[in-house]
Amino acid sequence: MKTGTRTWLVLGCLLAALVALGPIVWAFSTSLKPTNRIFQVPPELIPSVSTLDHYARLISEGVHWAFLNSGLYAVMAVLVALTLGTVAGYSLARYPIPGKQLVLVLFVGAMAVPGFAVLLPTQLLFVNMGLYNTYIALPLLYAGHILPFAVWVTRSHFSTIPRELEQAAQIDGYSRFEAVWKVVLPGAKPALLAAATFGFLHSWNDYVTATTMVDTPGLRTLPVALIFFQGFHGRDWGALMAGVIIATIPPVVMFLLFRKYLIGGFADGSVKG
Amino acid sequence: MNAEFRKASTAQSVRFINVGKSYGNVRAVSDVNIAIEPGQFVTLLGPSGCGKSTTLNMIAGLEMPTEGQILIGDRDVTTVKPADRDIAMVFQSYALYPHLTLYENIAFPMRARRRRTPETEVDNKVRNAARMLGLEAMLSRFPREISGGQRQRVALGRAMVRTPTVYLLDEPLSNLDQQLRVQMRSELKDLHQRLGATMLYVTHDQSEAMTLSDLIVVMSAGRIEQVGTPRELYDRPANLFVARFLGEPGMNILDGERVADRLVGAGFSLPLSTTVVASEKRLSVGLRPEDIEDDPSNDAPIKGTVRTVEFLGSRSLVRIDVGDALVSAFLPATVELVAGQAVGLRPADTNKTRFFDTQSGLAVEETVK
Repeated sequence: MKTGTRTWLVLGCLLAALVALGPIVWAFSTSLKPTNRIFQVPPELIPSVSTLDHYARLISEGVHWAFLNSGLYAVMAVLVALTLGTVAGYSLARYPIPGKQLVLVLFVGAMAVPGFAVLLPTQLLFVNMGLYNTYIALPLLYAGHILPFAVWVTRSHFSTIPRELEQAAQIDGYSRFEAVWKVVLPGAKPALLAAATFGFLHSWNDYVTATTMVDTPGLRTLPVALIFFQGFHGRDWGALMAGVIIATIPPVVMFLLFRKYLIGGFADGSVKG
Repeated sequence: MNAEFRKASTAQSVRFINVGKSYGNVRAVSDVNIAIEPGQFVTLLGPSGCGKSTTLNMIAGLEMPTEGQILIGDRDVTTVKPADRDIAMVFQSYALYPHLTLYENIAFPMRARRRRTPETEVDNKVRNAARMLGLEAMLSRFPREISGGQRQRVALGRAMVRTPTVYLLDEPLSNLDQQLRVQMRSELKDLHQRLGATMLYVTHDQSEAMTLSDLIVVMSAGRIEQVGTPRELYDRPANLFVARFLGEPGMNILDGERVADRLVGAGFSLPLSTTVVASEKRLSVGLRPEDIEDDPSNDAPIKGTVRTVEFLGSRSLVRIDVGDALVSAFLPATVELVAGQAVGLRPADTNKTRFFDTQSGLAVEETVK
């Protein structure tokens, strides 16, 4: 590669990194500044005086419960979606189901429907069913959001696992369920982790569904809890930025742990099966 | 060799009674009747799509027959699940579990819930099988880290540790290169002799079938064409399909008409065998390429024109146009022939000349079926 091209590429990457990481770095810096230094001119990237007061305030306001709620909802949603998605994906890959193509189109089509379009009808439905403002409302809905992707990714992956592996396990003395559990699922780990990571990030980052389906402070998710720091009489930027940093940690950790599978999983779904 | 893998007292007979298999309207296998004795090495041989793998899968329980019965020993296993049949299978693709080491792969059948084996015994059996198959040094490796021949051995090891009643082998050598295939073939034969196990082997490679088998079942279009020892099939094929299918090249077939006690056709006139029991007028004669010799005399019973000559060292494979047929003959390399040359031929041994009904394709002698 020519030196000129390489220079432009490096500059482009630096710019992209600045755009992506800049706000996070600034938010982290702000979260450590005393309130009276947040808007000082000239601004400081590395605070000369730092404090953890904003983080303490989050805890005193009970934001850690919202953090736990978000985590719990996301984990429950992922478990439900992955369990159902794996069963559906396996069935679609292995069994001669009538109208299989139509079912697949429906699953993929479901991913194309914007969540906002069905938000109000879903809220009305949940009110009528007595699910509105309950602990299971959000996990249920998030599971529904993740399910099509889970089916899509797992089905594609199961299709690539030779049927003979299952047959061999059955002949080796295992039931079909045991064969799938011991042979097929370990082979589908990349797809399952991709679906789990995608599902967790989707659930963790959601604001709109969470603010529509639960009302009680004890049921709120982290994004909804943080919005209250915007206040009616002025924003508490320090606490808000501390919340943003806390909210960023789980997705970043997940992405760093599973990025290989995340990218692999997306590629599987797009080109195989 | 360890006693655990010495003669398998568990070897069982296998019987197919009128077994058939259909997929919707498509008939995959029909009227299969086979009786296999304990300890026999039996090969299902036939071209692709002839139903041999379906037949094997039905013994394994991976496919259910739509009619008939399958017995292993005295037990009717027609509808028994694969896990409960006490069989072992080696797949064409080996079907090794990619996420397990070779040790775990071989140990896998012994760790199934329904036949849980104490770990010390598992360890003993895995190491004994590995020793027998020359895999000891690589037990901690994963299948992706070993060669095709080694994978094949692991698949065999996984089958062996079970001491099953029947071994099923579905084209297990077809993914290997020629040299390794020949080597594995003799190892397999040796293994069969040492284990004394009942083995059912599927292949489309007749040389594998001929060298390995006690009994060969030739299949075509979902039906059994003939069951017999390799020699029986080769020397006395029951029909034209078997005659043409076995042998490299297959048996030469010349169509003709019965004239008195001779069969006469374009380019040939051969005496009919006294064993011919049919009265049909139109018959076909079959001659193996190695049972033909050149006949320089004017009254040679077969006359033709040389098309090609392939020099093979001590002998040549000569293709000769006889009427509309192309006859292959192995002639001594000392017989110098060139393309376009007229040549006279005769059967080297008239006892080895076979006769078939041209229309039905069936042998018209007292054949072994």
